[in-house]
Amino acid sequence: MATAHWSAPFQCPEQAAMCHSLTVSCPRPPSGSELRRRLEQIGERAEGVLWERRTRERSTTPGARRYAEQEARRPLRATSGPRLRVTLVRHTDDAADLVLVAARDALSRAALSDLAGFLTGGSPPRAGRHGIARETSGTRAAPLVAPEWGLGDLARRGLVGAARFSTPVSENPVSRELLTAAAAIVLARYDAEETPRIALLDPDAAGPHALSEYVLTYDETMSVAAFLAGGPETPEPAGEPATEPGGGPAIRVGMVFGEWDDARRYHPCLAPVFPLTLQAEQRPDRSWSGACWYDEGVIDARIARAFAEQVAYVAQWLAEPGEAGEELPLSAVPLMPADRAADIVRRGATPAATASPTAGSTVHERFEDLVRRDPDAVAVTDGTRTLTYRQLDEQAALMAEGLRSSGAAPGSMVGVCLERDATLVVTLLAILKSGCAYVPMDVEYPHERLRHTVGSAGVRVVVAAADVFPVVEGVRSVPPEELLRLGERRVSSGRTPSCDENDPAYVIYTSGSTGRPKGVVVPHRNVLALVDGTAEDFGLGADDVWTMFHSSAFDFSVWEIWGCLLTGGQLVVVPFWITRDTGEFHALLAERGVTVLNQTPSAFLPLVAQDRESPAELAVRLVVFGGEPLDARELLPWFARHPQAECRLVNMFGITETTVHVTAQTVTPQAALRGDRSVGPALPGWSVSVRGPRGEVLPVGAAGEIWVGGAGVARHYQGQPDLTARRFVVDPVTGERIYRSGDKGRMRPDGSLEHLGRIDSQVKIRGYRIEPDEIRNVLLGAPSVSGATVVVHRDESGDRAVDRLDAYVVLKGDATVAMVAEHARRLLPDYMVPATVTEVDAIPLTINGKVDVARLPAPTAARPAAAEAESPEPVETDSADRLERDMLDIWSRHLGTRVGPEDNFFSLGGNSLLVVRVLAEVKELGAPKIAVRDFYRNSFARQFIQLVRDRITPAPDAPAATGGARS
Amino acid sequence: MTRDRRSAAGAALAGRTVVITGAGRGLGRACALRFAEEGADLVLLDVGEDIEGVPYPLSTRGQLTHTAKLSEERGAAVLAEPLDVRGDVTPAVEKALDRFGRIDVLVNNAGIAAPSGKAVHEITEDEWRLMIDVDLSGAWRMIKAVAPTMIAQRRGSVINVSSTAGLVGYRHFAGYVAAKHGLIGLTKAAALDYGPHQVRVNALCPGSVADDPAVDGRMLSEIARSLDVAVEDHERVFVQAQPMNSLIAPSDIAGAALWLAGDDSSRVTGSVLTVDGGFTAR
Repeated sequence: MATAHWSAPFQCPEQAAMCHSLTVSCPRPPSGSELRRRLEQIGERAEGVLWERRTRERSTTPGARRYAEQEARRPLRATSGPRLRVTLVRHTDDAADLVLVAARDALSRAALSDLAGFLTGGSPPRAGRHGIARETSGTRAAPLVAPEWGLGDLARRGLVGAARFSTPVSENPVSRELLTAAAAIVLARYDAEETPRIALLDPDAAGPHALSEYVLTYDETMSVAAFLAGGPETPEPAGEPATEPGGGPAIRVGMVFGEWDDARRYHPCLAPVFPLTLQAEQRPDRSWSGACWYDEGVIDARIARAFAEQVAYVAQWLAEPGEAGEELPLSAVPLMPADRAADIVRRGATPAATASPTAGSTVHERFEDLVRRDPDAVAVTDGTRTLTYRQLDEQAALMAEGLRSSGAAPGSMVGVCLERDATLVVTLLAILKSGCAYVPMDVEYPHERLRHTVGSAGVRVVVAAADVFPVVEGVRSVPPEELLRLGERRVSSGRTPSCDENDPAYVIYTSGSTGRPKGVVVPHRNVLALVDGTAEDFGLGADDVWTMFHSSAFDFSVWEIWGCLLTGGQLVVVPFWITRDTGEFHALLAERGVTVLNQTPSAFLPLVAQDRESPAELAVRLVVFGGEPLDARELLPWFARHPQAECRLVNMFGITETTVHVTAQTVTPQAALRGDRSVGPALPGWSVSVRGPRGEVLPVGAAGEIWVGGAGVARHYQGQPDLTARRFVVDPVTGERIYRSGDKGRMRPDGSLEHLGRIDSQVKIRGYRIEPDEIRNVLLGAPSVSGATVVVHRDESGDRAVDRLDAYVVLKGDATVAMVAEHARRLLPDYMVPATVTEVDAIPLTINGKVDVARLPAPTAARPAAAEAESPEPVETDSADRLERDMLDIWSRHLGTRVGPEDNFFSLGGNSLLVVRVLAEVKELGAPKIAVRDFYRNSFARQFIQLVRDRITPAPDAPAATGGARS
Repeated sequence: MTRDRRSAAGAALAGRTVVITGAGRGLGRACALRFAEEGADLVLLDVGEDIEGVPYPLSTRGQLTHTAKLSEERGAAVLAEPLDVRGDVTPAVEKALDRFGRIDVLVNNAGIAAPSGKAVHEITEDEWRLMIDVDLSGAWRMIKAVAPTMIAQRRGSVINVSSTAGLVGYRHFAGYVAAKHGLIGLTKAAALDYGPHQVRVNALCPGSVADDPAVDGRMLSEIARSLDVAVEDHERVFVQAQPMNSLIAPSDIAGAALWLAGDDSSRVTGSVLTVDGGFTAR
């Protein structure tokens, strides 16, 4: 599949999109004066219209064709001027190409074709077809609105490409309707759209009739046979393409059909009219040949090419689905052949790193190897105690003996519930040395959760300080000192229990978004693969000083502890109270010369602020972000003080079920400025792919569920076989065991992944799919906002119509929530504007450093600043008061917030569904019927009340209250 | 990014339209041919007849046609038009837009070196007015006609061909020196006016350019003649004055103009690029 490119940078692409061109080969071309005469014969001036160009090529050469093509792709001038250009490109063998370029709304394709025939010696064009409209009318080319999946590069805006595609010659040829339906099906998969809209551009019709719209109701469950029997819906006139933000979903794909003509080359547009403009021409053998036009600023060339290929593939598949195929639901129609899907999956996998420089197939064996290499290097320090690698090893060996004598049999699960200090690290290592797996629990956890964890994991022994752990029947709580004493008393067996790489190293309980915590069982080899997959790229080694900042119950600590100790580094255990004091923590980083820092973005931002005020110099050379999505823009102040060459920032997307991390992306200031959302390619040994609801491989660019495979996939959920079977599945494409993450993402053409939040965080309001993270990004872009989070408020009644978005912001200076709300209204389409904006001092965090939604306060409504300085209500009669009170009451109930007369229905989160409900209730009160349209024109409470009042007692002089524009 | 912008043919100006005044011969022709090689479409303008008061023959229609022919041989689409920059330049610019739809680069190269050879108080009113009209006001008229298009395109590059006489004085060349200094002033002011629109304006200051039969260049001879000295003597004086001990070749100027025209100089505006073999470095 060839891709043609041509350069038209800096041209107004809107103008080029409105032009079309026709090139006709002329073996015996007319003379210039003949052309002039003919133009004048039909009433056209040749001045400014007719041009000649000479090439030094014979007409049959590719060079000659290239020159003609150059003229055929040259748009008319954007400002006033002729609406037609005729260029005779003469070649050295006396043959020529006649190139006609015209504005589509001035001259239709048929008229262009007639004119070309006439100019090359044919009969005059039929009356009514050659008249060139002077004024622009209809089919205004709207600016292209980039679809999310297009992944275009803004810097390449204006570079127009055309990817060729074709369908094969077949006994079951593809029809025009089938090709359109195929485009709609492909689009539905990219956009996750239930009613994909395809614009049909008819270049034979000038003016407003040139555009019609094909809307397919994408009913996934409908069988292919039923779909083919039913036929597609009739196209409807579309008017102008709706592409304004907030003005409804923009049309992403348009099609132009034509007949194949060897002697004539027709371009329906000189820049894409729609983000993807598919031009398709049927050859005499009824196969199709086409070009997919795109702007590289909007659609990545590789995505455009794949899209075009998929349309051709689906069309051909629909033309001959076979018997088995006819029975399939529409959702099962494949977008691409199996080998293409396999290619996409392959690109998401990174080969494992070469053999590790250290020996051992379990975590503790690896550690012991490092002890032998440099026994006197400092391994762990907590401010009061420092242990070398040898000391740590000896202590852990002693404690392992103690564990054995306390009844922890090899292969069992041992709980750990300790404060963060060096002893915690000794204990974790000891548990591994004893052939057991550790089950970490945070001392801050409520007793109920601790009980649940030991019960679920089958823990019989918990290492905990005296009186910390709740009494659980059958569970023995042992303080670490006692284990050491027991170990010292016991004569070492000298044998380490047999334990291999597939045995569990730890079980970490994660609280899913719903339900009870799940215990993720992770074997030794996964931890080693994580270290092997990162050590070289990150240059991890004996010179590094790491912090252990996170709770051992949060798997980020697995990375901190073993990433450090298995590469010979020094681990600084940060006491809990310092992790909660940014100033102290910054001082600790400086004092201990920490080089490798791991943080959640939420925890790092206050540190950046602290860093700007602190004179202390940091030695940090690597910051790894994990646990939460990162908004790279927030890192810009950090870059200002810490150049990339000195400190590398790496964003890692990860999941407990896939061993801490999955992908890594070095964050650059440039990427931060762009607001780049890439989380990078898979770590060596890991693989990522993006799938549809049925596990089908989605094309690059399309958003779906992230599936993770490779070295990090955990063994199972402890004691939950059903859940394990649902989430850890065999990939039908690769046959590999993978984890279905429940996270949403998209693959990028370079093999990196974009993380788009949780699939279940997506909410639909008025039929629009909304990502709260996207809104959060916009709020963070407001100059006065230093922190933000957006949560979806689902009404307990289960009534989806009153679902709303609540925003919480941390403000700087004199900013008000009204200013933030205004900012959001300016940048977001209506349906994405949060219904409420509430100021908080700080975004509350969980123990793991993630946003703690449960601790956010109840929202307060964001009101326009004007409403705050509201003057006292004018005194009115009792009945008028009651009417006002009733109306405000109805609004308040439906909007879920207290409403005042100056409030705007839509500013408070109102939507069309709620409008209908409010009007129904108003009608029930006995008021005359009010049209929805009138409601929209009177969307401030005061206006609405007046409207109702007027309808009840019409004022003889006053016209109906439909004035009052929404401001 | 610059490389990416190039077409398959590897041309820096593929798809761009370049307007050159004074394109009949000399530096104008040198620029045209160089730009043609880089894929540009060309609008070639020159006066095509003598001007009363200029004591040497100006470029002919034939020379302009020849530049067009040489450019076409290098693959350019060409529009060649006679244009006297003292008059209304709008029709020529309009015609260029009809033909090519856009204007990306303007090279204000048209200029005269004489009437000269007099002390300031000896210059007549007409001589002074003629010099300023062609060398300074002509450039202003072209910018005035082209700028709206470039602003609409949100991109454009204007190259004003000034001279070392725009930087230092030359004895008995007051009109020329004043006009070329003025051109640098115009450059800087226009750069400020159009900076927000991503339209760049720069000045190019050639030192003494060798006469070159390939481009029918004869500036050096004409200057020698207006000073009433032998060409050889004049050339020797200038060669000695330029630290690199050689005159400037027309291709040197075309190369510098190409850089200012293309994306490699995309943040260069209001600047003065001197190509004089070190003459003004002293």
